[in-house]
Amino acid sequence: MKNVFKTKLSTASLVLIPACIGINYLGKLFASVLKLPLWLDSIGTCIGGALGGPVIGGICGAANNLIYGFTTGDSITLVYALTSLGIGIAVGIMARLGRMEKLGGALLTAVVAGLVAVCISTPLNVLFWGGTTGNVWGDALFAATQAGGMPVALGSLLDEVVVDVPDKIITILVVFAILKGLPKKLTALYDVNDSIESLD
Amino acid sequence: MKSMSLYVDLDTWLTRMHPFTKLCYIATAIAASLIGGKLWVFGVFIGISLGMLVSGKIIKKVFPLIAFSFTILITIFLIHGLFNHENVTLLFAAGPLRFYREGMLYALRISCNVLNMLLAFAVFVLTTRPAELVEDLEQIGFSPKIGYVISSVFQIVPQMSGTMNTILDAQRSRGMETEGSLLTRAKSFLPLISPVVMSSLTNTRERAIALEIRGFEAGEKKTYLRDSSMKTVDRALCVCMVVLLAAAVAVRVML
Repeated sequence: MKNVFKTKLSTASLVLIPACIGINYLGKLFASVLKLPLWLDSIGTCIGGALGGPVIGGICGAANNLIYGFTTGDSITLVYALTSLGIGIAVGIMARLGRMEKLGGALLTAVVAGLVAVCISTPLNVLFWGGTTGNVWGDALFAATQAGGMPVALGSLLDEVVVDVPDKIITILVVFAILKGLPKKLTALYDVNDSIESLD
Repeated sequence: MKSMSLYVDLDTWLTRMHPFTKLCYIATAIAASLIGGKLWVFGVFIGISLGMLVSGKIIKKVFPLIAFSFTILITIFLIHGLFNHENVTLLFAAGPLRFYREGMLYALRISCNVLNMLLAFAVFVLTTRPAELVEDLEQIGFSPKIGYVISSVFQIVPQMSGTMNTILDAQRSRGMETEGSLLTRAKSFLPLISPVVMSSLTNTRERAIALEIRGFEAGEKKTYLRDSSMKTVDRALCVCMVVLLAAAVAVRVML
């Protein structure tokens, strides 16, 4: 069996990490310029995971939140480094299992990544924000569940599910479209199963 | 090009302080108040942070940072004040909305925690040059490769947001709508983001080659332009904070 966690720590992979962090930032920026009700801030992490595998994906995710936390003063993103780490690893594993090659597999990857994000974010939300997520639609639902007498954890879980899963589906679809358009000479840099053939 | 770092270039005692001392302060401020668990502990640390910010002449730069999280804090007050499960005692009523004491206290706790974190981080973020932090990390034995990753983020992001504006203008001039209904805005997302992403990913290949040519993979030990070891004051402050943290744990366990 192929090793899912096999990683090439070459210069190309290291250079991929800052590029992915930049892409995350752009996704968030475009989402706010276009006033979309989603975050779309994990496009880069997903690209990193899909190209470099789970280890690079995880590093992209965690480094993303850590760097922003320590430089832009947005200490709230710092605690969500765990979530990003989870998303990067999940997408990386799914990509290494060959799920990012077809649309159906990509959707499955999106659902897995979304659920991983939900599972990690919910306890963080309850701990730091008392259950809210800062997204208008999700928080409206959270308020409704609280008014209906549901426990905070369940309300917060639902709050995350309605925001995170659609967010990740759109993110992965964008990533899927982008990966399909990348030239082979670039993707070959990150292919772990390549071998050098001798012509002699 | 606008830098993404919030560093304010002033020569005050805060900017001269070693980055690790400031990191140590963040850890103490957050951990001690969480361990202490009382509202006044949060108050004390918020007070200390504010004092430091005022004496560092950067208090004005902090307000936009706080304003950013203010909307979320208001949501928390609304949701918990109105709907928290432990709500029994009525605090006040504004028209049909009834705010309860328990929920408001819970929300107050969360806000104090968030405010405390934001201010402690502001002390660090506004007074530390990112490049300096990276260099200090490398000097205590971090891999220079990780250092490269961190510092190149600061070069790549402004570059990419520059490209983003170019592409936004280019697509608009071709008649793409970026305003209007949700569907119109959502449809324009892919044509906007994919050119930037594609070009930046293609650039990584050239960047990797350029780095390798310049000996990026060489394992030689690097030398530094600036020697920045911790001063005695920095060491003393760090020890003080560790003692304070230990005291907080001790008090919590004893009582």
